[in-house]
Amino acid sequence: MKILTTVKKVVDVELNIHVENGAIVEDGLQYVINAWDENAVEATVQLKENNGAQTTLVSIGGPDNTDIIRRCYAMGIEDAIHIDDPALEKADSYVYANVLQKVYEQGEYDLIITGKQAQDTDNGQTGIILAECLKIPCVSNVVAMEVMDDQHIKVSRLGDAGTEIIELELPALVTVTDSINEPRLPAMRGIMMAKKKKINVMDLAGLGTSFEEVGGADLKSEIAEYMTSETRQAGQKFEGDAKEITAQVVNLLATEAKVL
Amino acid sequence: MNPLFMSILLIVGLAIFTRTMVQKIQLLMALEPTTRANHISERIKNVVIIALGQKRLVGRKKEWASGLMHAFIFWGFCVLLIRSLNLYGEGFVKGFQLPLFGDGSIVGYLYIALKDIMEGIVLLMAAYAIYRRAIVKPERLHNTWEAYFVLCMIGVLMISDLLLDGARYNLIMLHNNPGHLHFFNNPQFGSEFAWTPISVGAASLVSWMSADALSYLLGGMFWLHIITQLTFLNFLPLGKHFHVITALPNVFLKSLGYPHEKTKVLDLEDESVWEDESLGINHIHQLNWKQGLDLYTCTECGRCKEVCPTYTTDKPLSLHDLNDTLKLELLDNADNLIKRSKLAASIKADTDPEKVEEIKAQMAELNCKKTLIGEVISEETLWACTNCRACEQVCPVTIEQVPRIIALRQGQALMAGVYPQELNVAFRGLERNGNPWGIGYDQRAEWADGLNVKIMADDSDVDYLLWVGCAGSFDDRSKKVSISMVKILQKAGINFAILGKEEKCTGDFARRAGNEMMYQMMAQENIETLNNYKVKKIIAACPHCLNTLKHEYPQMGGNYEVIHHTDFIDQLIKSGKITLNKSLEGALTFHDPCFLGRYNSIYDQPRSILQGISKQGLTELDRHGSESFCCGAGGGRMWMEETIGKRINVERSEEIVGKNVANVAVACPFCLTMIEDGMKELDKDEQIKAKDICELVAENMA
Repeated sequence: MKILTTVKKVVDVELNIHVENGAIVEDGLQYVINAWDENAVEATVQLKENNGAQTTLVSIGGPDNTDIIRRCYAMGIEDAIHIDDPALEKADSYVYANVLQKVYEQGEYDLIITGKQAQDTDNGQTGIILAECLKIPCVSNVVAMEVMDDQHIKVSRLGDAGTEIIELELPALVTVTDSINEPRLPAMRGIMMAKKKKINVMDLAGLGTSFEEVGGADLKSEIAEYMTSETRQAGQKFEGDAKEITAQVVNLLATEAKVL
Repeated sequence: MNPLFMSILLIVGLAIFTRTMVQKIQLLMALEPTTRANHISERIKNVVIIALGQKRLVGRKKEWASGLMHAFIFWGFCVLLIRSLNLYGEGFVKGFQLPLFGDGSIVGYLYIALKDIMEGIVLLMAAYAIYRRAIVKPERLHNTWEAYFVLCMIGVLMISDLLLDGARYNLIMLHNNPGHLHFFNNPQFGSEFAWTPISVGAASLVSWMSADALSYLLGGMFWLHIITQLTFLNFLPLGKHFHVITALPNVFLKSLGYPHEKTKVLDLEDESVWEDESLGINHIHQLNWKQGLDLYTCTECGRCKEVCPTYTTDKPLSLHDLNDTLKLELLDNADNLIKRSKLAASIKADTDPEKVEEIKAQMAELNCKKTLIGEVISEETLWACTNCRACEQVCPVTIEQVPRIIALRQGQALMAGVYPQELNVAFRGLERNGNPWGIGYDQRAEWADGLNVKIMADDSDVDYLLWVGCAGSFDDRSKKVSISMVKILQKAGINFAILGKEEKCTGDFARRAGNEMMYQMMAQENIETLNNYKVKKIIAACPHCLNTLKHEYPQMGGNYEVIHHTDFIDQLIKSGKITLNKSLEGALTFHDPCFLGRYNSIYDQPRSILQGISKQGLTELDRHGSESFCCGAGGGRMWMEETIGKRINVERSEEIVGKNVANVAVACPFCLTMIEDGMKELDKDEQIKAKDICELVAENMA
């Protein structure tokens, strides 16, 4: 089985994001591997370990994506394709999907695993659009995965009312949630060994396509502006015995909240 | 007596002993190198205090009886060495006297008196030791046949020598000395027997015997003594009684300047070490020779496990069993290791590259095959340790357990990539945001908002850097400690600043969890920041930060004067910069943090501060000071699940509850979390308040 896994580098959402004049303030930000993509990589490596798959990773982004690619190598991914083309800076999910389609077509993969969405945009579209472009079956929000035979996998999907168990014919695409596994921290030895591994870096031309062909010149969506959401105000703590607290709360409900 | 027989006994006895010892030494020399041949005068001092003085045996109140027992047996043996030499001489020459110890001087007389009394005492002590093992049965002891056998041999040595002298006395005094036996009879000091009451007492036991029978007894006891002694000598290296020979050198060679051997700064950039698995300890041949000597020296006395927070809460880590297991593995591989070291020596002499490769391949064949963790020691055993050093503090022969555990963890974390998975979250947090919680690094100084605290980036012209630590920066409970510390420093008018978002975890827990790579990453970045600001003096509010900044950063080029906040506050009080009110109500106790006490010898300063605050003074816990009981969070355990046995923090909290106090002071953010959690678990968090010393100081300042 040949598996293609996609990883994106996203802003570390643990940090406070500041917006000025409708744009994100880059100063002080740091970028990390998208958490759900890390789950996708872990799921891929587990399939490799348990079922003997060939694993390839693809990441679209600037030169500094190298560190997350090496991290995935250290986790156990065997090959990596790095699409580094400055033209893709403003690409949306549709463009990404088109680029990934090109990668897929060059490799004859049986299974594509992506994270369910990226932490930065929270769109959750790229994987699904990619499956649509490729006309292959797709299941999103996968929480468990099992290989049945060379042609089929069985996945569990977390729905609103319960879990769906779906059998899929390959080739297929799944997007995974963080419930599927706990991504390993790359072994230190793996990190050192990964330093020497080759990454297949190419731009759009190298991939045999062009900015226009992947829809970059005619973006379907574009980010117009960023805004900061209002921060929640701190709560109020009441002290005293139950009677006193009740009186204070009732008073505030009447005077401040004006609901009584 | 019989020079021929004596010669045969000595040659056989010493030949076997020499052969055994040569093998043991060769095995140590086959292990990894380490330097211990420095600071000789300090080393001699250690030998005098710890080994000859038996400090850790007689110095522990709760074990004074067994401590004295051991000490007297040891001192007795030291005294009797001279007597033994004299007896060997007598085997060749009748009436042999050692120079200085003959009947011509008071020294000889004093010596025979001392020898006589010591033999009596050693005999009594051996009897007490047998009684203690057989009847009292202290839980920490392994009750082995070996121990009884050795105690019996000691008994035989004493009895045979006393009866030898007793028979001699009777022959000389009651039977007119038919064999013209030699005895001290200097007109100035009198007869020998006036100085040897115990031997004379022994004589009375056999006074009924005829002269012939006494002659036989004398000869019999002489040879019994000699044969037992040579047997004893050859038996020692075979088991735990090897410590009789190795304890003195082991104490002499102990680590100096820091309580145990510091973790080596591994060269992680060297590709070959990753390929040949030479980082940390994965196989027994990766121990250094001192660690091998530690294994030889373990007496299996069990003091280590008795004070161990993990063993006493039913975790699968029994330190003397760990020593024993490693020793057996070492001995199992002895022949191969000795061959391997000979090959290594031949590589140095050989310059032909092909030949060198061939030898290297032969050496690899001789490597110990078993992976220590998994095949010899269980993972649970390795990861249970909290690095609290209680074991090392009480070990009478100064065995260093913790560095070995860290090196074994390095083997696991760096080479095998196997470690408790809960650590992943903390490691990832460290990697991305420089703190184990993984909270955005940009929020590190938010606790100080509105407190008017300088940030180094804005103004680095300060006297002190306040090292806040991750807990003090991100943990809501510990943030209150940081705020209190700021109040104290501002009150005392100290010109200080914090690093703010430039500060990162010191890497303490990562290093102790074997993740040297993560530690070095943190240390490098911090040292760069600190050196950039030319920081000289650091106040650390966390003993783990203190320990790493003070003792481990110098290994990587970070040299600062680092002081713990309790030490600093104590100085502020003593210099009158802050004044305390004795206003704290309710009984108060203090929980000594391991990394403050046992690692940095800070015991008095916290107590001095607390005495100045508490109306009722300070109630000591049963386990306090250098024998304080760990909270369970050291050695990276803060970030691991505790699923086996009783929780360590609950055990400690129960001890605190048992003291009927209203307040427990701590001086470490991990201890604070653990003790508070323990109190909650016991439903005592309302009655007993756990607070950091600086919170108590801030609340009780004038």
